[in-house]
Amino acid sequence: MTFVHQNGVKALDGVSLTIEKHELVGIVGENGAGKTTLVRHINGLLRPTSGSVLIDGADARGTSVAKLSRKIGIAFQNPDHQLFSESVEHEITFALKNFGFDDALIEQRLNWALDFFGLKEYHKSSPLILSGGEKKRLTLASILAWDPEVVVLDEPTVGQDAIQKAKLLEIARTLHSAGKTIIIVSHDVEFLWSLQPRLVVMKRGRVVEDGPCAVVMQERELLEDARVSQPQLVALYESLSRRPASPFQDVSQALSWVSGERR
Amino acid sequence: MYWLASGLLYRRVVSPFTKLDPRIKLLIAIEFFVLSLLASSVIGVAIIIASIVAVAAFARSLRRVGRTVAFSLIFATFIFVLNLWIGLGLLRSLTFALRFIAIIGSTSIFFITTSPDELEQIMKWMRIPRDVVFAFVTAVRFIPVVMLDAFQIMDAQKSRGLELEKGGLLSRVRNLIPVLIPLVVNSVIRSGELAEAMESRGYGSTPKPTSLYGMRLRWYDKAVLVLSLAVFVLALYIYHFYTFPF
Ligand SMILES: Nc1ncnc2c1ncn2[C@@H]1O[C@H](COP(=O)(O)OP(=O)(O)OP(=O)(O)O)[C@@H](O)[C@H]1O
Ligand SMILES: [Mg+2]
Repeated sequence: MTFVHQNGVKALDGVSLTIEKHELVGIVGENGAGKTTLVRHINGLLRPTSGSVLIDGADARGTSVAKLSRKIGIAFQNPDHQLFSESVEHEITFALKNFGFDDALIEQRLNWALDFFGLKEYHKSSPLILSGGEKKRLTLASILAWDPEVVVLDEPTVGQDAIQKAKLLEIARTLHSAGKTIIIVSHDVEFLWSLQPRLVVMKRGRVVEDGPCAVVMQERELLEDARVSQPQLVALYESLSRRPASPFQDVSQALSWVSGERR
Repeated sequence: MYWLASGLLYRRVVSPFTKLDPRIKLLIAIEFFVLSLLASSVIGVAIIIASIVAVAAFARSLRRVGRTVAFSLIFATFIFVLNLWIGLGLLRSLTFALRFIAIIGSTSIFFITTSPDELEQIMKWMRIPRDVVFAFVTAVRFIPVVMLDAFQIMDAQKSRGLELEKGGLLSRVRNLIPVLIPLVVNSVIRSGELAEAMESRGYGSTPKPTSLYGMRLRWYDKAVLVLSLAVFVLALYIYHFYTFPF
């Protein structure tokens, strides 16, 4: 599919991408590559200029954003663009009410979300007094609360400290093992490397590479061209492998050596 | 929505008209404005509208001026119907409606071809206090930013199941709350940050700062000035001594 913005910018140029159920996908690429534009198509916020978006095999054209969102939860980068309620509690239940959940279920999902994201102590406070990292967690909580099948995270790690990042990593892993489809747009290659997703590389509105993270991250020239830095471990491995008698055959060996696991 | 909002925004276009000294552009807009107010016949107003269209074409902004005018058509129709209804007669009602379009056209031609920088220069030239000028120009400059914010907020809330177009009037207004609150909060945060950033860069440290650009009339500006005044006087003369058939 192709998407042209109102000002004539061709943000997506012949993108063809299939994401299976339960898949974990990372999307990387330079600023302005079209990553955000691409994910906005998944729940119908944007509609392709040409081509089509299929959700569960059905054309999404006639389906409203609200309907698609029930299945696909997108967390946008800037929490300040969505927090509005008088309390954390209301913020989390906002979507649940929109989707017409009954009270018992709302109560249950709210408690789950407060627990899962460590927001229990704040449940009565205003979202606006939370720190940046807590706001971010709250936006995630407000989306995961309705239990969407597909979770899309646009730049989840921006502005997060080490602990928050580790937490996010854990959240992503937990969700993935719970059978969710997860799509993460990020410039944070170390974060993606820890998740080892299927990696999609974008450049100027096109998908230029698509494959397992461990493999794609080794394609130095392609990544440089798309302005993506390699994870430190891969770069280290590559410089080691240029030396005679390198102890590793590939990155995954280096990875298990560093972490002390046997594979 | 986007279509409508983009009619209000300045976009840099290079043309013989936009190149003019901003004061001349203002003068031409005022001349059109005065002529539209004075015109009292359908033909008279029609000629003015035609001239505005010609100037818009000259400014390579025909489409954008046209958009604003198209929007004002709604109100013009209202004016026409209302006047007809109170019994002013077809021709006078038509004149009033057309006059409204001419007035909108003349003001929009100025705002569409004048950048915020030029607006700032004009206001300084009028000796409006610097802080007032700054506040005004910043507000104008931030319209697109706030608009972009509004679109992103709407997207975020729609993704959480908010249906802006659902329900009756009351629930539609209520649906705006999740959009308006973040919009205001963001704007307040941003203005605070802007103020701090300005002060950190020395805003207000001298009572009379130097400016990078000044306005100077070139021969081209002077020629247009003389020409426009001549046409203006001629038009006034015609108004005064000649009555159009209708
Ligand atoms: N609302 C808009 N109107 C016009 N052009 C836009 C709009 N949003 C994005 N663009 C343009 O579309 C292109 C792709 O933008 P997009 O936001 O999808 O990039 P991205 O890959 O998410 O970049 P980043 O890494 O900076 O977030 C850019 O050239 C951008 O300028
Ligand atoms: Mg983006």
